[in-house]
Amino acid sequence: MSASATTSSPLAVQVRAVTKTFGTGEAAVRALKGVDFTARQGELLMIVGPSGCGKTTLLSVIAGTLNFDGGEIEVFGSSLHAMKPRHVTEFRKRHVGFIFQQFNLIPTLSCVENVSVPLLINGASRREAERRAEAMLDQIGLQGRGHERPTNLSGGQQQRVAIARALVHEPRLVICDEPTSALDKDTGGHIMDLLRDVARHPDRSVIVVTHDNRIFKYADRLTEMEDGRVQRVHDQGGNFEESGGTK
Amino acid sequence: MYHLALKMLLGDRAKYVMLVGGLTFATMLMTQQSAVFCGLLTWTTSHMRNMRAKLWVVDRKVEQANELKPLRDTDVNRVRSAPGVAWAVPLYITIQSAKLADGNFKPILLVGLDNTTLVGRPPVILQGKLEDVRLPNAIILDELGIKRLSVGRAKPLGLGDTFELNDKEARIVAICRADRHFFGYPYAYSTYTQALQFAPKQRKMLSLVLAEPAPGWTLEQAAASIQSETGMKAYTEEELFWSTIWWYFRNTGIPIAFMSIIILGFIVGTTISGQTFYAFVHENLRHLGALKAMGASNALLARMLLVQSLTVGFLGYGIGALLVTAFGRAVLARGEPPFMMPWQLPAGTFVLVMAICCFSALLGIRKVWKVEPAIVFRG
Repeated sequence: MSASATTSSPLAVQVRAVTKTFGTGEAAVRALKGVDFTARQGELLMIVGPSGCGKTTLLSVIAGTLNFDGGEIEVFGSSLHAMKPRHVTEFRKRHVGFIFQQFNLIPTLSCVENVSVPLLINGASRREAERRAEAMLDQIGLQGRGHERPTNLSGGQQQRVAIARALVHEPRLVICDEPTSALDKDTGGHIMDLLRDVARHPDRSVIVVTHDNRIFKYADRLTEMEDGRVQRVHDQGGNFEESGGTK
Repeated sequence: MYHLALKMLLGDRAKYVMLVGGLTFATMLMTQQSAVFCGLLTWTTSHMRNMRAKLWVVDRKVEQANELKPLRDTDVNRVRSAPGVAWAVPLYITIQSAKLADGNFKPILLVGLDNTTLVGRPPVILQGKLEDVRLPNAIILDELGIKRLSVGRAKPLGLGDTFELNDKEARIVAICRADRHFFGYPYAYSTYTQALQFAPKQRKMLSLVLAEPAPGWTLEQAAASIQSETGMKAYTEEELFWSTIWWYFRNTGIPIAFMSIIILGFIVGTTISGQTFYAFVHENLRHLGALKAMGASNALLARMLLVQSLTVGFLGYGIGALLVTAFGRAVLARGEPPFMMPWQLPAGTFVLVMAICCFSALLGIRKVWKVEPAIVFRG
């Protein structure tokens, strides 16, 4: 694991006793059963665990894309649980960047247009948004590819475009859902190098949900989930903390 | 964001073409059929444009211009004697058979004009002189009549040519332009006296009386005076126009036939457009969900969908309206089928097409509104 934010770094995300149940009655599925969890500023934190353990649900509630039933979530000092839906949307717009498993780039738009979307949503003019999008693409090594359609790019390049889109409006929290699962090992490694650099920003936190054990080494901390609960948290020194105490 | 919304739409070429095509078709169907319907109804009132008079006096049971009940010859004097009438002249309208060179017969609509004043004369004389209609056996034929009655001849009928009208010789002394009659009969004009010679004798020959109010009398006052004095029905031109139109509404299946096609156009447009746009939104739901996750509000996404939908609406309407205009120009040059497109028709169609687009957008908006942004995290 890499050099990372220290335990003294301020908290970026604080999740306390969060619960989430899908469905009702006999069909109800308790996806989160009182999750406690923290992420620090300047940290790349991974949430890992078997399929169905609730890690994507946890990511969704932290990102403010899914309502939760109980508990509290604070992201950079803002209490999501106390916000009205309109303010949660506003919060996401300004402070959260998303990187998706399937990239979710709009195929009919050029790379620059895809990257400019968060800026346009935040009210930037078209010219300003495209200028900053091109600069961001240059920054992540896609010089001169801005006017191509994403479908003309390789998987790794598409994920770079997605990363550019996630960062272009300088969000404080970057949420990544299986960012390397659609990529080969080398490309996945390059993407993780990039994400680790992104996380080095002192006022930012990167949370990655993954199954891919090849990229665990890039995490500052690993949060293991099982059956809707955080089981343990590993830090970079190999120490781990069971849910409820340190070992 | 709106330019990106349009690029998303234009990028899906198949659906874009389908949407524009569907709305073009709907626009064409609705506007063209409405225009043909208006044109057809206009043909029912061709007498008013071809004979032009302020007051039309007919039997009191007559409801429309194409079904006239004969009056007595003396009735014209009764109208003249009514207070408020400046002048009144007789008019004879009958359908007679004209014989073609090849032996066939064609019906023509013969109009007998007052010998002295020629009130009710054709609106435009293209060849010859109007006054020559007073010559023996003289007739003024409209362009359609020339075309119809020239069948079987080496060259089209012209001035001085003769044809057989109800076993009597008729000589063409002028060619006129007249509005087409609802039944498609050509107009032929002669003097009142001559027309009575062409037509078989009946007990009552006068079809109607054309009149004008005296100075200081309004049309309505003069019409009321004629009605009270003579017991006949006196219509103003506008009253007879609308009475005729409504008679066809009430007594024929024409409005229902056309209305059903117009409604069909609306339904087809709504179905194609609504279904295609819904499919477009459905296929892009993941991307729209991603935009929502990134902070795009429901209102912004709704506006994007409206921009997409209204854009195809404007395009489809524009192309459809252009095609209908081209169709209209072509048929107006030929004279049939009937076609009349007042500004209210394209305006009405525009409103309907925009309603279709708003409905389609609404289907998409409803879908997007319900989407949780967390959809983007599902594999």
